[in-house]
Parts: sequence; structure tokens; C-alpha cells
Amino acid sequence: METDAHSRGDAAGCETTSLPLSVGTPDVPVTGVNGALRRLPRIETQAASLLGKAGFVPSWKPYWNRLKTAGLTFPEGIEFLPPKPEKEDSPEKLKKIAAPESRAESQKPRKSTRIKPPADALSLEDRLFYLLQPPLESWLQGQELIMPFEPFPYQFEGIAWLFSQNAALLADEMGLGKTMQMITAVRLLLRAGQVRRVLLVCPKPLIPNWQREFKLWAEEIPVTTIEGDSARRRLIWRMPGSHVFLANYELVVRDFQEMLLDQARAEGRRTGLSLDVDGLGRSLRSRKHVQQEKPPINTDADPANVHAPPKFDLVVLDEAQRIKNRDSLTGTVIRSIPRKRSVCLTGTPIENRPEEMASLFEFMGVVPPRGAPDIRQLTQLSESYVLRRTKDLVMTDLPPRFDRDEIIELAPAQKHAYQQAEQEGVIQLNEMGESISVQHVFELVLRLKQISNYDPLTGESSKLDRLRADMEEIADSGGKAILFSQWTKTLDWLDARLKEFNPLIYHGGVPTGKREPILTRFKEDDDAHILLMSYGTGAVGLNLQFAGYVFLYDRWWNPAVEDQAINRAHRIGATASQIIVSKFICKDTIEEKIDQVLQQKRELFARILGDGDNSNASLSLTASEIFGLFDLKARTGKGERKVTPEEAEAA
Amino acid sequence: MAGPKSNSGFHLGFLRVVEVGDDAFAGGLLVTNHLGRPLEFQCTTPVRPNRTQAILYGPTLKPFVWSELIGKTLHARVDVKPQLILVDQPALLELREHVPAPVACLVDGDPRSSELADVTRLQVGRNLLRFHTEFPEDRDIAAAGVERVSADADLLEPLERVTEALRETLRSGSAA
Repeated sequence: METDAHSRGDAAGCETTSLPLSVGTPDVPVTGVNGALRRLPRIETQAASLLGKAGFVPSWKPYWNRLKTAGLTFPEGIEFLPPKPEKEDSPEKLKKIAAPESRAESQKPRKSTRIKPPADALSLEDRLFYLLQPPLESWLQGQELIMPFEPFPYQFEGIAWLFSQNAALLADEMGLGKTMQMITAVRLLLRAGQVRRVLLVCPKPLIPNWQREFKLWAEEIPVTTIEGDSARRRLIWRMPGSHVFLANYELVVRDFQEMLLDQARAEGRRTGLSLDVDGLGRSLRSRKHVQQEKPPINTDADPANVHAPPKFDLVVLDEAQRIKNRDSLTGTVIRSIPRKRSVCLTGTPIENRPEEMASLFEFMGVVPPRGAPDIRQLTQLSESYVLRRTKDLVMTDLPPRFDRDEIIELAPAQKHAYQQAEQEGVIQLNEMGESISVQHVFELVLRLKQISNYDPLTGESSKLDRLRADMEEIADSGGKAILFSQWTKTLDWLDARLKEFNPLIYHGGVPTGKREPILTRFKEDDDAHILLMSYGTGAVGLNLQFAGYVFLYDRWWNPAVEDQAINRAHRIGATASQIIVSKFICKDTIEEKIDQVLQQKRELFARILGDGDNSNASLSLTASEIFGLFDLKARTGKGERKVTPEEAEAA
Repeated sequence: MAGPKSNSGFHLGFLRVVEVGDDAFAGGLLVTNHLGRPLEFQCTTPVRPNRTQAILYGPTLKPFVWSELIGKTLHARVDVKPQLILVDQPALLELREHVPAPVACLVDGDPRSSELADVTRLQVGRNLLRFHTEFPEDRDIAAAGVERVSADADLLEPLERVTEALRETLRSGSAA
């Protein structure tokens, strides 16, 4: 009853001659209007104009003004801040308010890649900083940054991810454009003022590659390459005004080792390289010492500290599997580089053992120094800090890759030589009895593999015959092929026998200065149909996407290395309509047996990286696997020792 | 490395109000440069009108809470003042009555937009804007400023950022 009276009065307005403007105090109980209504009698005591609407809202203002706000000003906004707070002119009068009407949500779906805040950004400001950045597409396509080509959606995603992560491992499969994603992320980070000094470390043969890609994707960023003698390098390291430094692993290790020793000497320490803190300022000493630990090194704060190594906002390791061995000098020195953000790039984060990831994670600062995460923890960390995409997932428009195993019969003389070598070898091994070692077996394996490539005595080679047949077809159609072998000797041998296809050779023995011209010629010379490469030099980071054919003349021990080799050609921007990969395997030889082992390793590899399978099996060839290649009477079996490709090569 | 060199940049404000739970509202204002790069962001805690207020304000509640309470507060709060405020909720056009800057509403896809008088509409980037009918000079003020905005710009997109940021803020519950 009372309520009715009140609402009538309010709605009609003019019927009630007054409204309790002064009673609209915060005391009105939230539970209902009764309290206010009980004071109705007072209406008679105060007059209000018939146009009372204007006075109506202000009486409620105390309620509303409790509005709290939160916010942030971006670094770029700071320069626009007024010198002093502006005076707000606020017209208080209320006008007629149109009927409210909420509009439907966005009408057109558009492609846009948002920068997501990293999982470890805890403060709201940090998270909003990333959330409020424009989508990459508009950032890059706008007038701000010119991109030579339109990146693929998954690349936008990778750039956005790299932009926001303090610790990141970009493990995209070879050929998906890790270099370009990294360069663009660096470009955006520099633009946004998030980083000022960037160090890019890569294997030596890739330096020209990075220089070229930087010129292509970020023309405006000057890249300083660390080179020259040690005095000159010392100067370059401390050169002010440079934003991006490019250096190879060997030089970084040598120079930083020296600088760290200098620093230790200057500070009167005799510890040498046994460091107290790593490059992220984390203590490397045992827990007992931690309490009296010094704060992290801050070389910026002390300009007089000329002995301290230079400091970086971002350190990027290309082919980061170089630091997979924690105790190696490379690993130790690289981890000591003073830095804020750490990014690893590699197509093969696990080459042999899942534990190799732990070393990369330690560099990234997501596992403590000496920490030993188990498989489950590694999988968890991978979710936050590893981004891996494979070609079949993202590249629907990449040319299809066809793998074919070419099973080849040995030529008669070759077969004879092979059988003889095998028999003699096995007899020799058996005679050795208990003193037999993996190394001895390896020697035999390598000798047999060489004979499968060609018979050194007669020069007979069924692989060469097959290759020549294939190459004639390829040359006729104007195609280009890359051939990989484990031995430079084999490459030289092939070079002499493939003259009609104008072969080019690219291996470790070719001086660095001559390497680029070889690649350029292979690309531009229509008559150069085949490039002969060794796994070691040709497998990493080079772009040969115009070649439609890949030959694996002999097989490498590690499937990851083989894949890297194949992906020189099978990558983005591939101009060939399809990539055909031929793997030469001689029938009834050691090659067939190794192929089986490789096949199994490949499956294991996929399982671990695929869904974090907690299988802890070693992916290396174990001693027993090596022994298993031959029918040997005496198997010591005492070695589960791992045999690495390096050892194989050394053998 | 780079950035606007002078203080003469044209700043856009993107304002959106979202409904939080039952009958509560929160608003966010993102100020960007003409390229859409963020300069400042402010958002409010949720405003929940009580029953009395809801009854007394009736249909005027929403425009009041949205424009005068949330919009005006946010505009007063930001230090980097926008020269044009863009909204995509027509109710927020009323904000114009409380702030000195022009307020424009995105009307793409609204069948009625073609019927708008020329003086109240303006094409900016990929979007069509409508201005408050009682401030005819707004259109010209805005037109002069938005010349720097790319013809390819999508003005709806930053509003989505605002929604996203509001969601994040509300989730963190630390807007105080």
C-alpha cells in the first residue's frame, strides 16, 4: 500500500508536490524501500518544483561516488601526461535520457592474434600491459612496421608468444620460420621499449643467414656482428648505441670466459670460472652459503666496473641444443651472461635424452641451477615455456614431402668386398674376446657403410648408378637436389663422377668466406643441379627451399639430424611443388639394420615431444644395440654406455 | 625506439561497459594513439545499483550508471585525455553531456545507420561513426583529428581489448 503510493508519487512526479530530496541518505537500507517510505509524512514539509527531476539525482550521489578505478599508464603514454591534473568541467545538469539499448556484439569475425600475458606475470599491471597491446596483425600491417611478406597465422602466434615471455623455448620444427619469428619479436620488443640490448648467439655458419634475414625482416635494425681479433671484439662488446649483437658460440664462450676471469681478478677472487651467481643473478653456491650471498651482479649500476661482462636485456640462443650438456664450458659460460630475458631456438630440443631439456630450462631460468626435474615436471614446464609446432599441424600449404626408401642391391664387386670385410671384421671382433669395445664395432660399421657407398677398389657403386638415373630426370626437368653424406671423402668422390650435373660442394672443409657464394650459385645457376653437403655443415639453419629433391646417400645415427637435413629444402617459401626425399639403403647390409634402429628411435622421439610421454628410455644407440648389429659370439654387455654421433664420427 | 615525437598526437579513447553478474556494471577506458597503441587504461570496480536505486531510476538507470557514473569517472581519471571517445554501446553516447571531448558510437551493421543525417555520421577507418545529435560540431572536430587514423583501421578491435582487460581485472579481483 505504502509502496504504491510512493511509486505513484515518483513516477508521476507532478502529482506529489514535493520529494524528500534531503532524505536520500546512505542510511536507506538495501533490503527495501520501507525505511525511506516510512518517512513519507515529511513530504509535506518541503516543496519541490514540478520539474523536480533535476534535483532528484544529486541527492543520491553519495551512493554512487564510491566508484573505484584501477588502471595503468603505458610507457608511451607518459609523455602525454599533463603537467598538472586537468580541471574537470562537469555540467551537472541532466538531460532527457534516451531509452537504453544494448548493441549486439561484434558483427564480423576477424583474424587477429592477441598477445597473451605470460603465465608467470602475476601483477595485474603486467597482465594488462600485454592484454591491451593491439593485435599483431594491425601492429605489423599498420604504418609502424613494414613486413616484406605476410606471416602465417601460426607465425603471428609465435611472435606474440615470444614478445610476452621472459623465458621461452621456441621449438618449431625446422622450416617453420623460427628466425623470422624471433627477428620480428625482437623488433617489437625494441619498439615497445621492452629491451634495449639483444645478444643473438648462433653457430658460426649461420651468421650470414641471420644477417640476411635481419636485413629482410627488420631493415631498420642495425646488427653488430662480433668478429675480428680479441682487442677489437672487446671494443665491440662494449660499444654503446648498438641494439642487436650477433655472435657465434665459440667467440661468446671465449670472450665471456675472459671477461669473467678479468672480473674475478679485479675483485680479488681466485675462483676463476667457478661462479657465484649465474647470468640471471641466481646463486650457484650451496644452500649454506646463500644467506651471506651478495645481491645479483648489476654492472649497469657501476659504470666504473669495466671488468664486468656486458649486460643484455635479451639473450637468444639459436640451435640451443649446443648447451644441452650442462657441465660443458659452453653451457656454463652461456648461462653466466648477465641478462633479463632468455630465449632458446631449436628444432630439436631433445636430440637424445629428455634430460637435455633441463639444461635449456636452466638457461631460461625456469629450473633452479643444478635442478633435476623429472619427466613429469619437464612436461609441465614445457606447457608454459615451450612452443612447438610441427609442419603437418600448421602448414597445410607447405608442399607435400614424400619419403621413399630406395632399397638398392649391392653391385657384384661391391657385394664381394662387403661380405669379405664383414666376415673378416666379425672374426677379428670375435678373436678379441673380452677386450672388445664399442669402438671396435663402430670401426667395422663405418667400414661397411663406406663400402656400401662405393667399393674403394673398383669404384663400383650401385648407389651412384641409382643417383645418376634419378639426377638425369631431375636435371631434365630443371630441378635441383641436395645430397647428404656423412663423409666429405664420399662427397669428393661423387663430385668427380657427377660432372654433367655441375655439382657444388659444401662441407666443413670449405672456408667460411667461400660458403655463401656456393649457396648463391646453387640458387641462381640453372645448370647447377646438385649440392653435395655433409650432415655436419649442411644440416643446420640454411635455407635451400628451392630444391625439390633430397638424397640421403648414407644415413646419420640420429634421426633428428636427418630431419634437419631434409628440412633445408622442406620449409616455408619452398618453391618446389613437392619435396622428394630419397634415402639410400643397401639391401642385406648394415644400413638396413641401422635403418630399423633409426625407425624405432624416431617413434620414441615423437612420443616424448608429442604428449610428454613419461618414457625414460634413452634415445641413443646403446652399446648392446651396437653389438646387436652383428652376430657376435662375445658380447661383453657391460656397456649401456651411450654412443653419440660425435663419437661415431671420431671413430 | 620510436614513437610520437610531439605532444600533438591524436588520442582515441575506447570506452566499454560490461555487465558483471546480476545487474552490476564495470567500465574500462583505453586511451591509444592514432595507430591503436595503448597509452593508458583505467577501469572501474563493479557498480551494483541497489533495489531502491533500480526502482527510482527506472529505465534511466542504465544510461545514468553507464555514462555519468562510469564514463565520466573514467574520463576524469585518465591522465592522457582522449580527443575522441569511441563506444559501441549507444547508451554511452550520453557521456557527451558530461565530458568535453566528442563521443562517437560505432554503428556498423545497424540498418538504421544509412538513415542518419550527414552531420551526425562519419566514416573512420573501416567503421561508421554516429555522433550525439545535440553536439553538431563534434563531427567536424573528430573529422579533423582522425585524418591520421589509417583507412584500414578497425575501431571495434580496441573495444575488444577493453572487454578482455576488464575480464582480467575482475578475475583478479584486485581492482581496488
